[in-house]
This record gives sequence, structure tokens and C-alpha cells, in this order.
Amino acid sequence: MSEILAIYRKEMKTYFNSPIAFIVISSFLVITNWLFFDYGDYPFFAINIADIRGIFDYGAIVLLFIAPAVSMRLISEEKHQDTLELLVTMPISDMHIILGKYLSTLAIFGIILAGTLIAPISISFVGDLDTGIVISSYIGFFFLGATYLAMGLAASSFTRNQIVAYIIGIVIIAVFFLMNGMANGSGLIATLFENLSIRFHYQNFFRGVLDTRDLLYFISLIFVSLFISSTALASRKFR
Amino acid sequence: MIDVHNVTKSYGAMDAVKDVSFSVEQGEILGFLGPNGAGKTTTMKMITCYMPPTHGTITVDGLDVVNDSMGVRKKIGYLPESTPLYEEMGVRDYLNFIADVRKVSGQERTRAMDRVIEVCGLRKVIHKDIHELSKGFRQRVGFAQAIIHDPEILVLDEPTTGLDPNQIIEIRNLIRQLGESKTVIFSTHIMQEVQATSDRVLIIDQGQIAAQGTTEELKASIAGQMHLNLVLRNAEKSVFLEEMSSLDAVHLDDINVQKNGDLEAALKVDTGMDIREQLFDLAIAKQWKILESSPSSFTLEDVFRKLTN
Repeated sequence: MSEILAIYRKEMKTYFNSPIAFIVISSFLVITNWLFFDYGDYPFFAINIADIRGIFDYGAIVLLFIAPAVSMRLISEEKHQDTLELLVTMPISDMHIILGKYLSTLAIFGIILAGTLIAPISISFVGDLDTGIVISSYIGFFFLGATYLAMGLAASSFTRNQIVAYIIGIVIIAVFFLMNGMANGSGLIATLFENLSIRFHYQNFFRGVLDTRDLLYFISLIFVSLFISSTALASRKFR
Repeated sequence: MIDVHNVTKSYGAMDAVKDVSFSVEQGEILGFLGPNGAGKTTTMKMITCYMPPTHGTITVDGLDVVNDSMGVRKKIGYLPESTPLYEEMGVRDYLNFIADVRKVSGQERTRAMDRVIEVCGLRKVIHKDIHELSKGFRQRVGFAQAIIHDPEILVLDEPTTGLDPNQIIEIRNLIRQLGESKTVIFSTHIMQEVQATSDRVLIIDQGQIAAQGTTEELKASIAGQMHLNLVLRNAEKSVFLEEMSSLDAVHLDDINVQKNGDLEAALKVDTGMDIREQLFDLAIAKQWKILESSPSSFTLEDVFRKLTN
């Protein structure tokens, strides 16, 4: 456990010693809030309804580009700097390395989540928000982000090039996000694709319902992504 | 301390290391000598649990590198060839991170930090960022990382590569100093380095051990003979050849007559024989004038070249 925290602390230091953390957090908040309050045909200010769902709709898209930027450096930079060899020969398991790194991305995401509270808090002063739906939406948004970040981490474990990791990350997330649109109709394949898609499960949270199937879906995606990352680290042993 | 037993490492169809066996005693400094690509790094990566052997076993202080990987890793300090440093970190942050992962904490951490700063000479740079450091200091930070948990065993992969002559001497001294209390394996492709620092040498070529022993043993076993270069005046080639063939210990390597009539010969003399006095007497008897008589014994470098060509 203490070695997981050692990795976590090191990653946090790296995020905040450089502009990375500041840039990703602020760009997410600026873009998402702008889209929510003032963009498109039905911006918040125009429709005048106390509903913050737009934050999570736009947020899911913006985060698709932001989350892989948070996780892209995690493994690929270790490979690029040849520090991975040191890391994996210290008394720490591959999975613990991955968990420490993953925790640090969740912490960054935690700051992003806290930043999005501006909208519901300010709106609650002028209108009547459905607290239950806000909470379930936030839970959904947390699992969405946690899944994106885990996928981004897996992408980072495939390559020593951060740009490549970033693009692979976006592609993986986008494929899962949009999968429900890949097959039309009501056949078996269409149902399968729909049930495998992030968007399908994500939407359920906005009805104010927490369904264990949706939670399990996200948790298994996270688990599989972390497992793949750890296996990618261990692949040195099988070559 | 370290036992490598019939170890083979294959990458696909290629064997990087082929059926290698050797052992390192406690407190010994073992020099790993070989040309680039000989399998030195691969062997070290297996000892340090980076990857397992394809066949064979390696035990470190009785622990198997595959089954007891975590136990082995705790005992070893490893400096890989590429000097793994986090560019964006400060020197102190970096060492603290390594100490964190290696669970060196509290009082012990403070003492360990002081010790490595002292031993590796890091006082001047401890507050700097790693990307600001010169190559020599980077290497020392790498050393500090490897010894912060006071390991029993040090594995150093080409620790002097890319350093200037003064820095090389510093690092060699450091290796010798650390070797007083620890078991050290270090690799190099530079002969003098092995001669200067190690108790024992292991020459590896194309994935196999070409020779092992102390530097003296190696020179003796491979070299065996002394070389003698002669230049004689007033010597007839046929007479000289006749005289030489009557000496059992002498083998003629090369002979030629120079333009001015001087005879130039390269002789190989068997181990333990010294024919220089005999030659002198012979020269007087035959009225030869010895212009030059220079013995040359084998260096480790010759041994290395002979074994790895």
C-alpha cells in the first residue's frame, strides 16, 4: 500500500510541478461551462430551466479529449526516459505501479469535478434543482471520467511516445462512447453494441436512477483497462 | 551470493545468453567484460528481476529471481545502463521517491540521505533539478539511487560509459569503496576498468562465457607465452633459424631480413621460460650484435581480443 502512495505522490508532484495539471483542469472547466451556459440553440441562459444536464452532456465530449491528455504521459514517459526499467526492478508489483498512477489521475479528475460544482451551486440560488438527479448525474460523470482515464492509461502503456498514447486513448474512448451508433435496428448485434457503449449506460444516470448494471459496466471497463496496463508492463517478461 | 545456473535467454529464435553458469561470492567485485551486444545487459536484467530466464535458474542469497522476485529486488541496488532519472524532478525529490518505494523511512531515511549525499558527492547539486546536471553528476545520482537502501548487492550496467577520464576514475573509486562492504557486479567493455576495480573477471561473448578468473589467472591461462622481438646485426638467417630450432621453448613467429642486412625476428617463448640470457650468450658466441630485445607480455586487452574476435 505504501508503495502505491509513493507512486501516487510522485505523479502528483509531476502534475503540479509543470503546467499540465493547470492546463487540463482549466481548459476543461472553461470549455464545458462555456458550452453549457452560452452555446448552441438551447443555452442555459436562453431556455431558463434549472437543469444542469448540459454540463454532463458537453462534459462527456470535452473530457474525451482531456482525459487522455492527463494519462498519456504516465507509462509512455517512463518508457521514453528509461525509468520504467528502474521502476519495475524495485520491490513493487506491476499492478501497484499502475494503481498509484491511476490514483493520481483520479485526483486530478476530482479537482475537475469540484470545479464543475460552480454550475449547480450557482443555479441552486436562482432555481429549483432536483438534488437527487444532480447527485446521480455526478456519480455517472465520475464513473465516466474514471473509465476514460483508465483507458488513457492503457493507451499510455502501449507506446513510448506520448502523442501516440494520446491519440490511441482518444480512439479507444471514442469507439466505446459511440458504439451504440454502429449498428442499426433491433437485432442481436445492435443490442450488443448498445449495451457495450458508454453513452447508453451514461444516459441512465440522468434519470436519477442508479442501476447496478450501469455501475458494473463502468467498473469492469476500468478493471479491464488497468489489467491491460499492468499486463503491458509485464510483457517484458514474455518477450 | 549470486548463483547463475545454466541460464539461457532467447528472444524469439535468437539466444542472447546461452547456457551461462557462474557464481559471485559475498563481498566480491565481479567485472563483466564483453563487446557490445555480448549478453552482459541481458544477464544483468535477469539477475535484477527485470525479466526471467528462458531456461535455467538464478538465485540471489538463496532466493529465486522468479519465485521470490520481491525478496531479491529488496537485496539489490541496480543502476541500468541508461541511468534512469526523472528529468523534471529535483535531486532530493528523486532520491526521496526511490526511498519511498523502497520503504526507507523516518530516521533511517535521514541517515540514508546523508550517507548517499556524502558517498556520491552530491552536496553541491542536491537542490538542483536533474535536467540541469552534467553527465558525471547524473551518473552519481544514479549511484545514489542504487545504494539508498543500503543493499547487499549492487548491479551496475556500464557505470562509466560517457564519462570523462576524471569522472571515470571517481566512479571506479566509488565502485571499489562500495565493494569493500557489498557484492558488486559491474559490466564494461573497457579492459583497464576491470583491471582497476574487480577481484574477478568474467568475459562474455556472443551470449557465452569465454573465460573467467582473476585478471592474473586470465592473463596466464590465455596468454601463456612471452613475446620477444629481436633485431640482430651480423646474423645469418639460416644460422639463426638453426640455432632457434634447437631451443625447445622457442617458437618463431616471424622473421625477415631488413635492407641493411639486420635480422628482425619475433619469438614466442613458452610459459615460465626466459631465454634472454641464453640468447645473450649465443649472440656472443656467434658474434651477433643485439640491437633490440624487447619482451612483451600479454595484456588483458590481448586476452579479450583473442577471445572475442
